[in-house]
Amino acid sequence: MSGIQYLKNQLPVILINLLGMLALALFLIAGGNSVQTVLFIFVIWLFVLASCLLFFYISRKKYLNKLLDMAEQLEERYLLPEIMQPPERADEQVFYQIMKMAEKSMLERIGEVQRERKEYKEYIEQWIHEVKTPITAMKLICENNRCSFTRELMAELENINRFTEQALYYARSEHTEKDYSVREICLGNVIHGAIADNKYLLRQNSVAVTVDNVKYSIYSDDKWLRFILDQIISNAVKYHTDQPVLHFSAVKENDRIVLSVEDNGIGIPESDLPRIFEKGFTGQNGRLVHSSTGIGLYLCRRLCDKLGIGISARSAGKGTAIFLSFHINDFVAGVQG
Amino acid sequence: MSGYRIMIVEDDFSIQTQLKTLLSGNGYTVQAVTDFSKTVEQIKAFAPHLILLDIKLPGNSGFEICSQIRSFSDMPVVFVTSSNTDMDELNSIMLGGDAFITKPYNTAILLAKIASLLRRAYASGQTEILTWNGAALHLESSFLEYNERKADLTKNELKILYYLFKNAGKICPRGDIVDFLWDNQLYIDDNTLSVHMSRIREKLASIGLTGFIKTKHRQGYTL
Repeated sequence: MSGIQYLKNQLPVILINLLGMLALALFLIAGGNSVQTVLFIFVIWLFVLASCLLFFYISRKKYLNKLLDMAEQLEERYLLPEIMQPPERADEQVFYQIMKMAEKSMLERIGEVQRERKEYKEYIEQWIHEVKTPITAMKLICENNRCSFTRELMAELENINRFTEQALYYARSEHTEKDYSVREICLGNVIHGAIADNKYLLRQNSVAVTVDNVKYSIYSDDKWLRFILDQIISNAVKYHTDQPVLHFSAVKENDRIVLSVEDNGIGIPESDLPRIFEKGFTGQNGRLVHSSTGIGLYLCRRLCDKLGIGISARSAGKGTAIFLSFHINDFVAGVQG
Repeated sequence: MSGYRIMIVEDDFSIQTQLKTLLSGNGYTVQAVTDFSKTVEQIKAFAPHLILLDIKLPGNSGFEICSQIRSFSDMPVVFVTSSNTDMDELNSIMLGGDAFITKPYNTAILLAKIASLLRRAYASGQTEILTWNGAALHLESSFLEYNERKADLTKNELKILYYLFKNAGKICPRGDIVDFLWDNQLYIDDNTLSVHMSRIREKLASIGLTGFIKTKHRQGYTL
């Protein structure tokens, strides 16, 4: 509450007082009182008026600051009426009532939105599970009738499957509930699984895949990790150049295991590099390749954050390397002996 | 190949048919449940060595069927489902499922899982040796024997020969061989396959085996 604004609001009071002073002065001087007496009375009057205004100002400011503090500390600000003391002044009680009403309608709206979102998420998950049945059937039909034509179809099916998975994990990552379980898994198995998911896509683009030194056991969720690797592999294929190469390797660095996925694709311009994990960011490469959505890496980062995996990217003109670092803390090492 | 019986419990008709084709093509005797109100009766009647079980089914769910199966048999049960939540996976393990595979599955992984479960449950224990025209491929020690002369093989060469021996007499398209190698985590391309093939031929020639692998122009290789 600013002092000047307060004074402005009190202008009628001040004016009335000044008017009263003027009337009193006229009356006293007409009654034959000396100017000095009148001035003396004025000083007293002004003093009392000023101290009154000051006192009210300070006490109001204290009260309102307390309210502001309370509101600021509150995570959900609209719940303020629940914890503040009901005011005593008549006009404030009306405002209090209005706040209560606003809070109620806010809570109702939030409940409604949450319910709608939950229903939508459930619908999306259900839809994804349903669409996987025809995808599976198509895959089996292709496997049972292998030829160059079905191989192309298989590569497209892998794309369809990745997109549906993306939708599923997007729906899941928006929610705070845990859909994953961390356990000891073999890094190599997850990598080979992710390569198998993209087998036809990689073969169709004749990507030379090499996997070195990945026989580490890590603590993570294999499904989520496989999804993350799927996204990275599909990026490597999407932004490939002639004679594409994809190299997986892992090293142990102190208490971390760092997996690097390197390709020799078109790379990421240095100016874009800090923003590639942002939602919807496609950058310069997005203008070259029209299927860029800016969702894949964003989801990767979100899932990595939840799983406690460090994710970073490096690109020096040509080729891109994505690093995933898995923490092995003392506790895990201690339990393992 | 093995004569194992596999029962498919899957309500989607096209997946059911395709799985039948896939599994019978791999030497299994396959039957699918047709009437989902009498699933367990049909399983008992067929007495399979292994069951592929979907979770979402008309009538009883896969979980219920699994616990009913466990009351009379220890046969391996593979859950095959499109939902991949941890809860479902946990449930399937709690109820005695032996494996949990999510749709859309990689057929190579599915077949490998089935083979390993069958081997574990009905272990025959013998080491596998494949023979064709007097040549013997020793899988565990990774060498080829012909007229008591041996040629050591690398991992890639062993896998290529394994595929050719398994499909002996048939024409193996190059694409299928590369597919098989990728399924076995050996990521080689078409050109590298040619290099490996000529190396294998050199090794075979060194133990007196010439003309063992024939090239069918534009089609592939055959033993």
